[in-house]
Amino acid sequence: MNDFAVARGSLGMRARKPSRLVPFALTAALAAAPLAVSAEGTVTLGRTLDADRYDPHRSSALAAAEVLQMIGDTLVTLSPDQKTVLPELAASWDVSEDGLTYTFHLKDGVTFCDGKPFTANDVVGTMDRWLKPDAPHVSTWRAGEVDSVTAADDLTVVYKLKVPSSNLLYQMANFNFIMIDPDQAAALGDDFGVTGFNGTGPFCLDSWKPRDEVVLTKHDGYNWGAPELGNAGPAYVDKVIWKIVPEAATLVATIPAGEVDASYTVPKWAIAQFEADPTVQILTPESSYRTSYIGFKTSRPFMDDIRVREAVAHAIDQEAQAEALYFGLAQPTESYFAKNVLDYPADTDTSAFTYDPEKTKELLTEAGFTMGADGIWEKDGQPLKLTYYGFNEALSLDIGQAVQGDLAKVGIALDVENYDSTAIWGKLREETYDLYEMSYPYVSAGDALNLYFNSASIPSPNRMMWNDPETDKLMAAGNAAITPEDRAAAFEELTRHVHEAVLWKPTVEETPIVIAGPRLEAFVPAGLSGAVFDSGLNLKLK
Amino acid sequence: MMSDMSMTEVAAGSAGRTWRRMRANPTMLIAVTVLLAVLLFALIGPMISPYDPYETALRMRLKPPSAAHWLGTDSQGRDLATRLMYGARTTLMLGLAGVTFAALVGGTIGLLAAFYSRLDNPLMRLVDVMLSFPSILFGLSLAAMMGPGLDSLILAIGLSIMPGIARISRGAALSVMAQDYIDGGRVIGLPDRTLMSRYLLANAYAPILTYTTLAFGDAVLLAAALGFLGLGLQPPTAELGSIAAEGRSFLFIAPHVSFAASALIFLIVLPVNMLGDALRDAADRRAS
Repeated sequence: MNDFAVARGSLGMRARKPSRLVPFALTAALAAAPLAVSAEGTVTLGRTLDADRYDPHRSSALAAAEVLQMIGDTLVTLSPDQKTVLPELAASWDVSEDGLTYTFHLKDGVTFCDGKPFTANDVVGTMDRWLKPDAPHVSTWRAGEVDSVTAADDLTVVYKLKVPSSNLLYQMANFNFIMIDPDQAAALGDDFGVTGFNGTGPFCLDSWKPRDEVVLTKHDGYNWGAPELGNAGPAYVDKVIWKIVPEAATLVATIPAGEVDASYTVPKWAIAQFEADPTVQILTPESSYRTSYIGFKTSRPFMDDIRVREAVAHAIDQEAQAEALYFGLAQPTESYFAKNVLDYPADTDTSAFTYDPEKTKELLTEAGFTMGADGIWEKDGQPLKLTYYGFNEALSLDIGQAVQGDLAKVGIALDVENYDSTAIWGKLREETYDLYEMSYPYVSAGDALNLYFNSASIPSPNRMMWNDPETDKLMAAGNAAITPEDRAAAFEELTRHVHEAVLWKPTVEETPIVIAGPRLEAFVPAGLSGAVFDSGLNLKLK
Repeated sequence: MMSDMSMTEVAAGSAGRTWRRMRANPTMLIAVTVLLAVLLFALIGPMISPYDPYETALRMRLKPPSAAHWLGTDSQGRDLATRLMYGARTTLMLGLAGVTFAALVGGTIGLLAAFYSRLDNPLMRLVDVMLSFPSILFGLSLAAMMGPGLDSLILAIGLSIMPGIARISRGAALSVMAQDYIDGGRVIGLPDRTLMSRYLLANAYAPILTYTTLAFGDAVLLAAALGFLGLGLQPPTAELGSIAAEGRSFLFIAPHVSFAASALIFLIVLPVNMLGDALRDAADRRAS
């Protein structure tokens, strides 16, 4: 708020920096034609990418999640700090003592957009479809090892597991667990989520023009949202339009112009300019977890030595990255995941991840390296020359060059190779590189640990090739724990263990930043999986 | 042997005339001056610049032009002027290597096609197929297929430029083939190799050279375009196209990066094309 007041009161400051306003005028002129200010009761949300389909069982894309969260509901959801499980479609639940049976008691009076009542059979149908073997369905690991999902009566679901899954309720808040209309899914087949989606969410899918816009209309009578997240329903606005504006610079201009009411995909360089604009609101979630890191492939020569990994970690300056590459809009970090997530132990030793180039030299000397004539460390005649894979995308290219520059200063040669987002996932499965760049969202330590460090996840997403029995043992113990204490003990131990092994150099933690225009009331963006507008229930016009 | 001598004299004489005509042309002088300035910038600049083109300083990034950094700094905090000196070097070298490769291969194909009529059809149809692709598309596909690297880049640029040179070379060679002295040479039993180098090439080289000069501009542009699209030399190598691409993300807050790199590409390609045009005009007038 202070920032806005300062900007409002000091026109002189603006006058001294006229160049800051020029881009807006330019892009506004370029972008003005196709869009107009939204109608009364309609909110327009801008984004740069569309999804290929809106089917919770076939997409892992954020672009699909953010629309699906508005037109569908999950059985449970998470509190704004992402630590407490809250009721959504399920009013309550019981977990058996052995941790194998979850009984959900559904809310009464929930209906789909077409008016059909939502019952336990729909939950069974949803899970049957998602977990159907050999179907092209994604992220099924989140469901745990399911034995059966059955309906005891119209409002009671019994969810049986083969082995306990301590994270199950947290995973159930994920958009992949959105309840669908199984009859519609069967009728539409491959077109489900493309030509139609009958959900129970606060909005209904009205139309979708791929790579142009998704139009959602208010679901009348919706009142089963979680009150802890703000408005429980019905929605304040009549219509939400998700508009695709492919060029980020154009998107920057549409917000002050009122053509787009809010977006979180504006580039970082524009945020500083928005801070000086009193008509624009800058909103951030209470908690949202995304960490960027440089991964180390432990199966490679040189990188199999923990001293070399630590030497590399000490050479990379994450503070300079946060300050310069992210324009100060990310926090430098020294841990694989945020220190305030569930099951992160405060006594984790993160001393290996500080920026300390002197330590790099000590460690390399200790590991038997000597400085070569060309200024590159070498051992047994082999120069310390590493290969790095990154994405062919603006920020990623800058990160690659920054890492290369940092390593060059301490005498480590780095070959940076950047690949297109379609090609890189295949390249990352290969055994041809030493370092790679990545960022990922998570809700808890258990979530992050399960995603990356299990030996079963080799070669992807365990690109570190971290094959360690101790890790697998602690992971299994944490997953199968029945009490929160046992789970925490196992995951905390595992967190300490993988940090000691120096498998990544964590660099920054990022929070999505929502830019909202003058028509919209301020709201707290959601943090879960990065879908900042969540159910859309809190979107309200002034 | 007499005929050999006179052939060489004719060639030298016509080159001298062409040069005199060009000198009288003011466009030509401007082009040559600008090109020389860029060459000096690229060749001498790196020796006098106090900055390392590769040493990053993130906290100094995207600074506008100042007394310490005449053209400001780039997205890694490096001195942009120094990056451009090294970048111009790389881009010019890529263009030169690409066009030399294209002239050698294309020129040879054209001469062979003209000299051996049975090779004419297969060779020229192959060239036609290559010509049917826009050179930028052809270069892009080749660079993408072969992956990043100096060799593959030169090959991609060379092969994209080559078909045009092969065409011109064949045309020029065919008109020489119709001359009586070729038959004369055959009659006195000169081997094919001598006929091709002493008679054919010596009399057909002028249009090939002219076209190659023009193609140098295309080669530089193609090298920059591939760099811009991320298919050129990999970072941190300074290259004009990739410098322009790096600046593009920050066009609104630091336009100097892309602008300076693009302006330098312009200052290379435009005079080269002007030079080529003037050479062609001079040659045309001679022909008429």
